Amino acid sequence: MNTIEVKNLRRIYRATTGVIRRKVKEVEAVKDVSFDIKEGELFGLLGPNGAGKTTTVKVLATLLIPDAGEVRVKGLDIVKDANEVRKQIGFIFGGERGLYWRLSAIDNLRYFASLYHVDPEVSKKRIPELLELVGLKGRGDERVQGYSRGMKQRLHVARTLLHDPDILFLDEPTIGLDPVGAREFREVIRNLQSEKKTILLTTHYMFEADSLCERVAVIDKGEIVALDTPSALKKHVRDLSVVEIETFGIDPKVIDDIRKLPFVDALSTREQDHRQLLLVQTERGAEAVPDLIASLEGMRIGRVTVREPTLEDAYVRLVGGKA
Amino acid sequence: MNIITKNLRLFWQGTVLSYVALFAWFRPVTYAASKILMPLAQIIFFTFLGSYASGGTDVDFYVIGNAIQITAVSGIFGVTMSIGGDRWAGTLPYLFGTPANRMMLFFGRAFMHIIDGAFGVVIALGWGALLFGVDFSHTDFSALGLTIIVTTTSTCGLGLLMGCLSLITANVMFVNNTVYFLLLIFSGANIAIDTLPNWMQAFSKALPLTRGIASARTLIAGGSFADVAPLLVSEIGIGIAYGILGYFLFTWFELHAKRKGTLETV
Amino acid sequence: MKFKNLIVYWRTILRVAEITLRHQWNDSFILFAILVQPMLIAILALFMLRGSGENYAMFVVVGSGLTGLWSSLLFISGNSINGERWQGTLESLVAAPIPFEVIIFGKNLANVVQSLLSMSTSYLLAALLFGYTLQMSAPFLFTASVFLSIFAFISFGLIIAPLFIMYRGIQQWQNAMEFPVYILAGFLFPIALLPNWTTPVSYILPPYWAARALHETSTGEGDLQKILLAWGMMLIFSIVDLFISSKLFRKMLYKARVDATLETV
Repeated sequence: MNTIEVKNLRRIYRATTGVIRRKVKEVEAVKDVSFDIKEGELFGLLGPNGAGKTTTVKVLATLLIPDAGEVRVKGLDIVKDANEVRKQIGFIFGGERGLYWRLSAIDNLRYFASLYHVDPEVSKKRIPELLELVGLKGRGDERVQGYSRGMKQRLHVARTLLHDPDILFLDEPTIGLDPVGAREFREVIRNLQSEKKTILLTTHYMFEADSLCERVAVIDKGEIVALDTPSALKKHVRDLSVVEIETFGIDPKVIDDIRKLPFVDALSTREQDHRQLLLVQTERGAEAVPDLIASLEGMRIGRVTVREPTLEDAYVRLVGGKA
Repeated sequence: MNIITKNLRLFWQGTVLSYVALFAWFRPVTYAASKILMPLAQIIFFTFLGSYASGGTDVDFYVIGNAIQITAVSGIFGVTMSIGGDRWAGTLPYLFGTPANRMMLFFGRAFMHIIDGAFGVVIALGWGALLFGVDFSHTDFSALGLTIIVTTTSTCGLGLLMGCLSLITANVMFVNNTVYFLLLIFSGANIAIDTLPNWMQAFSKALPLTRGIASARTLIAGGSFADVAPLLVSEIGIGIAYGILGYFLFTWFELHAKRKGTLETV
Repeated sequence: MKFKNLIVYWRTILRVAEITLRHQWNDSFILFAILVQPMLIAILALFMLRGSGENYAMFVVVGSGLTGLWSSLLFISGNSINGERWQGTLESLVAAPIPFEVIIFGKNLANVVQSLLSMSTSYLLAALLFGYTLQMSAPFLFTASVFLSIFAFISFGLIIAPLFIMYRGIQQWQNAMEFPVYILAGFLFPIALLPNWTTPVSYILPPYWAARALHETSTGEGDLQKILLAWGMMLIFSIVDLFISSKLFRKMLYKARVDATLETV
């Protein structure tokens, strides 16, 4: 039996607008999503903003009722057996909210420990251990108010491990962290993985999924567009190369023109200060460079490199080159 | 554009915008609850309490006192929120970044609350007539109307000062709740001023509302405009003094906040 | 079922109450509701009721204490669920494997006890300022009444909180609900002054029975039979309230999971 089973999950948001004539607007956040997660697996859910990642996680965390489909955690139904499910799971949503800022970290943890029926004797021992695990040793008596964003997010990890759940849902846990904070955070996730926890990680950072996850599902517009191991996903783009061209103040119209060139499979851009990096996926590899440069005629061009595709390039291709 | 029309426009925009922004989440029902039912409940409570204390005499005393006191709902709560609200919304830096005339900006925030407060008092007096049989047959209505406007204005003056205090302390609710209840004690709405200890009487006389309430009681009992004119002059004077004090505090706050870079700290 | 929860979860309730107390201690709005407002009402009422009966200072102290209790229940407990939502902690609380009403019970306990403790100090102060001696006519019965009142107020609060969440229309009347209960529950003057048709409304308000028990045991005006009646009514209302509230909480949480309102404000 799989630890987590999601079958044909569908979830709609309804919002009423208008004061006098009320209109109901429906947004289909998750259209049809199915996947399974094996015991002890670190499973990644990858997708752009608004793809339905958080909605899926919140359904799994018993915080949303699905409109259709079946969702089971350890064989328990997340609607009917919500309370049993809650004992098995822990979750964090990226961001720094969700803690009592006017209390110390230790008080926050003591509070949540009691909500999860952790025996006081046990929590007295576990809280310092957890603080050490997430790198907050010695800071536990300080008010959360004064914590940095990264510290708050790591405190969330400690919070969710209080009852030692077998299953963890981590929704964009590294969002908004500086590179050092994010790296420390990924170290924490690796530790959890080595403790044989079943983990669902959502992210829109490719390298994060690539370096951590055993399998990755790419979700776009409420549907799963690919599901495989990172290396298998990379095979989607194995026969392609990526040409990176550094430009300065490029016209969006020119980008569209390049996208339409017959030998271009996908194109994405990265803003870096005043530069724009064009990432062109093409089968022709280095041979495409002269043509590409020709279409950028009259514009300032910086460095041009040709490289092997990464998981990120596979992702760009899967979600239609708009990332 | 002429400088006067420019400033009038600013005044008016400040007025309307602060009012609309504040009550955006208010539905008509909520407004009704706060403008009609809340005053009613307060009047009933204190009138019963007062008549329980006095053995059933002097009902008019409490009804009129509390009806006029209702103006403080707009004058204190409304005005402090209009000023303090900018801090919560984080719009203060933008406001202080504009070249707008600070005086127009500041007093514009109070204007709509004067109308709103006066309206509340009229409703409250209506309840008094309807439920407690307060007799208006000997009343000089134009003088009473003037009393209501003057009292409401002077209460808003205090509200402006309190609003500025709330900018400094960042505790809007604490400041305005406390002031509201202090007014209930000191304004003479519920306790005859001359029965208070001397130091409390002195404090009463330095507050808005006190003379307005006295004036309304005199007029409803059949007094003439001449009887209350001196009261009204001091009442408006007190209100203006508080308003000006508030304005100076407001400009000081702006200067101080810009110097210390504390515009955004809540 | 509900009672079993309360016993099983007593440790959680106490922890929640403790943490709530420490979290709220420096919140100025709460400080006002539990300390300043009842103190000011006490001063006001002490002035107004000067010279009306023997033990009136005691009556005023207890009565204004009750006003504070009701205001804190209405505003602090009434908004407690929304407060968690604004802080972003509501999701974590709901997802804990514990009935959500147990958590709110703990929070209400903190509010009610907090009001009682701080108010009793402030009233003693007020009474001393005015130079009155406070005489408690039946201290043991009064203490028992206090405990029953705490329970009755908490249970009543457990109905208010989910109602405010489920029907925003009701919460709009929150401000207008403060004084009517002062009036109808007879906190500071007897309900006999009110028109007859309001009496049944008073009877269905748990604060009314709390006020009766506390006034009668503190001023010595009630006999044992009357006191027992008030206690009995408080107990019945508490049980009924707890029963209704567990239904309301279940409905509210299901609705929130359907409407996706646990997080958004």
